[in-house]
Amino acid sequence: MTDDNKSLEEPLVDDPERRDFLNTVTGVVAGAGVVAASWPFISSMNPSSDVLSKATTEASLTGINPGESKTVEWQGKPVFILRRTDDQIKNMTASQGGKDPEADSDRIQKPDWLIVVGLCTHLGCVPSRSSDGWFCPCHGSKYDNSGRVLHGPAPSNLKLPPYKFVSEDKIVIG
Amino acid sequence: MKNIISWIDRRFPLTSFVKKELTEYPTPRNLSFWWNFGSLAGVVLVIQIITGVFLAMHYKADAALAFDSVEHIMRDVNYGWLIRYMHSTGATAFFAVIFLHMARTLYYGSYRSPRELMWWTGQILLLLMMATAFMGYLLPWGQMSYWGAQVITSLFGAVPFLGDELIIWLRGDFTVGDATLTRFFALHYLVPFIIMAVIMVHLVALHSVKSSNPSGINLADKDNIPFHPYFTTKDLFGLCIFLVIYSYFVFYQPNMFIEAENYIPADPLQTPVHIVPEWYFLPFYAILRSIPDLLGGVIAMTISVLIFAFMPFLDRSKIPGGAVYRPFYRALFYVFVIDVLVLGYVGAKPPEGYLVFIGYFATALYFGVFAILPFLAKKEELWLRKKGLPPELEALIQSEEKQKAERMVARRKAKRARK
Amino acid sequence: MKNKKGLLLLLGVVLYSTQICASSNVSLLDGYEVSVEQDNLKKGATIYYNLCRLCHSLKYIKYQHLLDIGFSESEVNTLRQGKLMNKAIVSTSTPENAMKMFGMVPPDLSIMAKARKQGPEYIYSLMLSYVENSEGVYENQIFNGIKMPDVFSYSIAQGEQEKQAIQKDVADVASFLTWASDPHATERKSMGLGVIAYLVVLSGLMYLVMRRVWRRLE
Ligand code: FES
Repeated sequence: MTDDNKSLEEPLVDDPERRDFLNTVTGVVAGAGVVAASWPFISSMNPSSDVLSKATTEASLTGINPGESKTVEWQGKPVFILRRTDDQIKNMTASQGGKDPEADSDRIQKPDWLIVVGLCTHLGCVPSRSSDGWFCPCHGSKYDNSGRVLHGPAPSNLKLPPYKFVSEDKIVIG
Repeated sequence: MKNIISWIDRRFPLTSFVKKELTEYPTPRNLSFWWNFGSLAGVVLVIQIITGVFLAMHYKADAALAFDSVEHIMRDVNYGWLIRYMHSTGATAFFAVIFLHMARTLYYGSYRSPRELMWWTGQILLLLMMATAFMGYLLPWGQMSYWGAQVITSLFGAVPFLGDELIIWLRGDFTVGDATLTRFFALHYLVPFIIMAVIMVHLVALHSVKSSNPSGINLADKDNIPFHPYFTTKDLFGLCIFLVIYSYFVFYQPNMFIEAENYIPADPLQTPVHIVPEWYFLPFYAILRSIPDLLGGVIAMTISVLIFAFMPFLDRSKIPGGAVYRPFYRALFYVFVIDVLVLGYVGAKPPEGYLVFIGYFATALYFGVFAILPFLAKKEELWLRKKGLPPELEALIQSEEKQKAERMVARRKAKRARK
Repeated sequence: MKNKKGLLLLLGVVLYSTQICASSNVSLLDGYEVSVEQDNLKKGATIYYNLCRLCHSLKYIKYQHLLDIGFSESEVNTLRQGKLMNKAIVSTSTPENAMKMFGMVPPDLSIMAKARKQGPEYIYSLMLSYVENSEGVYENQIFNGIKMPDVFSYSIAQGEQEKQAIQKDVADVASFLTWASDPHATERKSMGLGVIAYLVVLSGLMYLVMRRVWRRLE
C-alpha cells in the first residue's frame, strides 16, 4: 500500500475529508435505521386492528318508544340514543341551552332522534337519565334533552358522535 | 456538554471508566472474527428483551387465552407479527451465537488459566438461557409447548424420594396447566434480568484477565491495541452481517424454527405423534433418550451440560493455548463437534432402528471425549516435546514454570515468616 | 486484496439470498403454486364460503378481513348476511350438530396451513386423495379414517377436464387458507426485501469504515 508510511506517521488522520464523509454517511444511515426500527415498536402500542374495528357500531332503533332512551357502546364509550316526544322537540328547538349555547338543529340529524356520547364533559362520568334530560351523579352537572349543559361544573355540551342513518331504523356510529 | 461531563466526573468516574474499559481498553490485535460472538450475544439479548417486553404488552398468560392472544399478536397488533417473529427467531439466533462463542472458547483454549471464572460464569449463563428458552416455549400454549413442558417437568420425577412432589410443585398442578403457564411467564420475564447481572460478572472478569487470542499465548503489551476504534468498528461490522442473516430468517423463514404442531392449541388429552424439543436442545435430548433408564438418562443429560465446567480441570496440558499448537486436541475438538451434530440429528428423529444404536454410540463418544482428554493431553505434551516445540513456545512454558516455582517459594517463605 | 475478495464474496452471498427471498413461492402439486393474487384468493374464499363453511369455521378471520383480498364492501355485505363486520366467519353448523353427525367438531381452518408440515401442499393433496373403494364408500389415501366426505367429488370425477377444474379450485382454496393462516405474509416479504437491502448497504459502509481504521495498523 502506498500510504502506509503516512498512516503510520499520523495514525489517526488519513485523508481527513474522506474519513469525515464516510463516517458521517455511515452514521446517518445507521441512525436512520435505528429510528426506522423503533417505529414498529411504537406503532404496536397503538390500538390494534381488532380494537379499531370496534370503531364503528351498528345500532338498531326499533323498539324505542317516544320518550325512551337506549344506551349502546361505541369504542367502549356509552352512546345515548333518545327518541324525543313532540313536546320535547318543541321545547328544545325553542331553547339555546345553558352555558354553552347551541341550536338544537345543529345537534341532530332527525328531530326525533338525539344521539350523544354519554360521558359528562366535566370528568367523564356517565350521566343518568332524568325526565327532562340527564343528571351527572359525580358533581351534579345537568343536561337537557338536547344534551346541552344547563348548570353544574361541566364546561360544554355532551359530545356528538359521527353517525349516519343507513335505513329508517338503523344507524351506524363512527 | 463539557460542563455536564465534568460535573458528573466529579461525582462518578464516567470519563475515566469509558477510557479504561472501552475506548482505550487494550485488546489483542490478532483477534479474528471468532471473537465477535460475545458482543453479538449481548446484542441478541437486548433484542430479546425489547421484543419480549413489547410482546408482554399483548400476551395473556392464561391457559384459556394464551393461544388466542398469540394469534391476536400475529394478526391484529400493529407489526405484532414482526415483533413475535423477531422474538422466536431471536431465541434461535441467541443459541446459535452462544454455541459458536463456546466452540471458539473450546477451540482456542480460552477457558484455560487464568480465564476459568469466565468459563464458569459462561456456563451459568448457558443454564439460565436454557431455562429461559424452555419456559418461553410454553407460552404460545400450542401442542409442542404443552407436551414439551409436560415431558421436561416429568424428568424431575427421577429425583429420588421427592420426585412426584417435586413435579407437582413445579407445575402447581397435577399436569401442566394454567398455574404452570402463569409461573413460567413470570419467570421467563424475570430470568433475562438475572442473565444481565451475570453478564456483568462475566465482563468484569473479562476486563480483569483481558481477551484471549488465536495464538493462545498472552501477547506482549505492544501487540495490544485500543478497543476503540478497532474493535468497535469490527464488532459493528459483524453485527451488520449478523443482522442480514437474522433478517432473512425473520422475514422469509420465520416458521422454520417453529414446529407446525405448535399452531395447534394445547390439548391435554392428545399427545403429538412425535415430540421434538427446539433444535438447540436436540443433542442433550438425544443423550437423555439414549439411556434406557429414567434416572440414568436425566443424570446423563444433566452431566452432558455441566461437564463443560470441568474443562479447566480435564485439560492440564502444559502446552499453552488451544488447538493451534496441539494436533491431538484439535482432532478431539473436531470429533466432538461432529458428535454433537450427530446427536442433534438423532434427537430430531424418532428413536427407531439403527438410529438408536447411533444414539448409544454418539452418547458414549460424547462422554468419552471428555474422559480421554486428560490422558490425551499428557501424551500430546510428551510427543510434542520430543518432536521439539517452536522456541518461543518452549521459552514461554519455561518462564511459566519458573513463575510458578517462584510463587511457591514466595508462599513458603511467607509461611515460614509467619511462624 | 484479501479484503476485496471477502467483500465480493459477501456481496455474492447477500445477492444470492435476496434472490431466494424474492422467489420464495410455495409449490403445491400438479404444477400449482400457492397464489397471492387477489383473483385466486377471492375464488378460494368463495369456495370456502359455500362449501367448507358448512362444517369448518375460520375463527381468526373476520368479515372485514375479506376486504383485504379484493372483496368489495357490498360483496362482503351480502356474505355476512347482517352479521357485524368485525365478527369471525364461523361454520353454519353448530358444534352440537357436528358432534351428532361426525362424533367430533371439525377443526378450525384459520391456521391449518401452518399447523401441518408443508401445510398448503398437505391441504391440496388431502382434498385430491379421495378414492372410492369397491363398496362405493369413499376413502382417503393420506388420512386414514377421515370423517370428511369427498366434498370436491374428485373420486368420481370423469375425464381430465373435470379433474383439472377441481384441481384448480382446490389450489385456490389452499391459497386462500394459506393467506388466512398468515395474512401479513405479503407485507412481511416485501418489508424484508427493504430491510435486507438496507442492511447490505449498511454492512458495506461499515466494512469501509472498519477497513480504513484497520489500515492504520498495517
Ligand atoms: S363528571 Fe359529571 S359533573 Fe363531574
